[in-house]
Amino acid sequence: MTDSALAMNPAQVAATSAVAPKLTVRDLHFYYNGFHALKGINMDIPEKKVTSIIGPSGCGKSTLLRIFNRIYAIYPKLEARGEVTLDGENVLDPGYSMNRLRGKVGMVFQKPVPFPMTIFENVAYGIRHHEKLSKADMTIRVEQALRSAALWDEVKDKLKQNALGLSGGQQQRLCIARAIALKPEVLLLDEPTSALDPIATSRIEQLVEELKSQFTIVIVTHNMQQAARCSDLTAFMYMGELIEFDGTEKIFTKPGKKQTEDYITGRFG
Amino acid sequence: MSAIYLRRRITNWLAMGLSMLATLIGLAFLAWILWETLRQGIGALNLKLFTRITANGADGGLANAMVGSLIINFIGIAIATPIGVLAGTWLAEYANRTKLGETIRFLNDILLSAPSIVMGLFVYTIIVLPSTALTHGSTTFSGFAGGVALALIALPVIVRTTDEMLRLVPSTLREAALSLGVPQWKLTLQILIRAARSGIITGVLLALARISGETAPLLFTAFGNNYMAVNPIDKMSSLPQIIYQYANDPGDDLHAMAWAGAFVVTMFVLLLSLASRLVLSRTKVSHD
Repeated sequence: MTDSALAMNPAQVAATSAVAPKLTVRDLHFYYNGFHALKGINMDIPEKKVTSIIGPSGCGKSTLLRIFNRIYAIYPKLEARGEVTLDGENVLDPGYSMNRLRGKVGMVFQKPVPFPMTIFENVAYGIRHHEKLSKADMTIRVEQALRSAALWDEVKDKLKQNALGLSGGQQQRLCIARAIALKPEVLLLDEPTSALDPIATSRIEQLVEELKSQFTIVIVTHNMQQAARCSDLTAFMYMGELIEFDGTEKIFTKPGKKQTEDYITGRFG
Repeated sequence: MSAIYLRRRITNWLAMGLSMLATLIGLAFLAWILWETLRQGIGALNLKLFTRITANGADGGLANAMVGSLIINFIGIAIATPIGVLAGTWLAEYANRTKLGETIRFLNDILLSAPSIVMGLFVYTIIVLPSTALTHGSTTFSGFAGGVALALIALPVIVRTTDEMLRLVPSTLREAALSLGVPQWKLTLQILIRAARSGIITGVLLALARISGETAPLLFTAFGNNYMAVNPIDKMSSLPQIIYQYANDPGDDLHAMAWAGAFVVTMFVLLLSLASRLVLSRTKVSHD
């Protein structure tokens, strides 16, 4: 796809790429204990692109992300209404198996949360739940995932050590390795660098750039420069509504809505 | 400006002085108790204590009471640990924030502060009396009944610590595992219990320390036995029960043995507390 295609709105992007969008969101509403947190979101997220979601705290950006793999459903009294389709199938349908959905949609969280086990086991743990692999195949699979997450060289000699001994940035890349080890189609990143220092942050951003050839990536971020640096499309949300969704360059150079412009120029938020 | 500052400094000194005084009073009594136990206990320690039984009286030892204590405590912990860990896990992972869960947590807190003699009477009613009926009238106090009474005291401690330790595990760890498609039971067994492991072990050790000093619940259940008993269906002696008995005796020799017994129990509890601190600190290092 060319740059001019990115400057079009997402519906056009999807149309010109001649494939259906990976994820489509239709008239999505979300309620926290009766509080109306998302108000009729519609968006098409294209395949193998990085889509970032920005907006002030409490605008619903993380909430939206947490609907895509239905992780919100582990807490009581939360309700999503509307449709989110992954390759044409509605993932909010109770008939869509959680196991299948989470095998296809991986997630990385704000704080790095390695499991209390060895580095190797952290990556192997999820794979083992979805596939039966021989010991040799598992070793290869874990190495692949760690290489893709740009962590292999730092940990190859200490795979048997506890993952909690790694630095914050390494732990977060381990969490990315753990997620991509399942070979998901979509990768959700929920403010993945907000707990990291600038050097670790830039490594993660580099990684996102490398990973987009294999995965459809949706990243929620507080940091507008981050959205500008590493995403192809940017969605701006405000008070539970999707205000504008377009190519990243367009959002940051000539946004279509006054609210978007006010936010990216720092007039509020 | 400086008047306000002076007043604040005085208030600060006063508050600090009062809290230090309160701490000192508390610690002074603790030190006094430990010192007396140590002084009187060490003086009375000798080899006979560990080799001879209470049937020999002033010329005997506490071997049967020590063995009895170990067996009864072991039975108590062996019953309370699996039930307590499972119940605590259920409270934290399956019933958290539900009405039923809150009710059970509240009831568990009541059980936690229930007088231990009540536990003894309860077990006397549900185990000792019915089995007396079975044996046509001969009394059936037993080490096992004592163990059950101690299990009832240890149980709420273990439930509470397991529940609290699991709820301390950050919810992001749950989300991370669930986002890989791992089901709740695997998450609980393989990740959460592992993350909270040191806290849970500490809870069990503290429960063991708590029950090893209990006397009242054993009076109606294990009863006591002046001879060596290792079969749990027999009446059994225990250190706290012997301390109680010997301390009430007019003889100085028996008083000295009671002090020695108190010293042994105190050291046992102290070692358990140290062990639990060790378990906690060792895992904390690898956490950070």
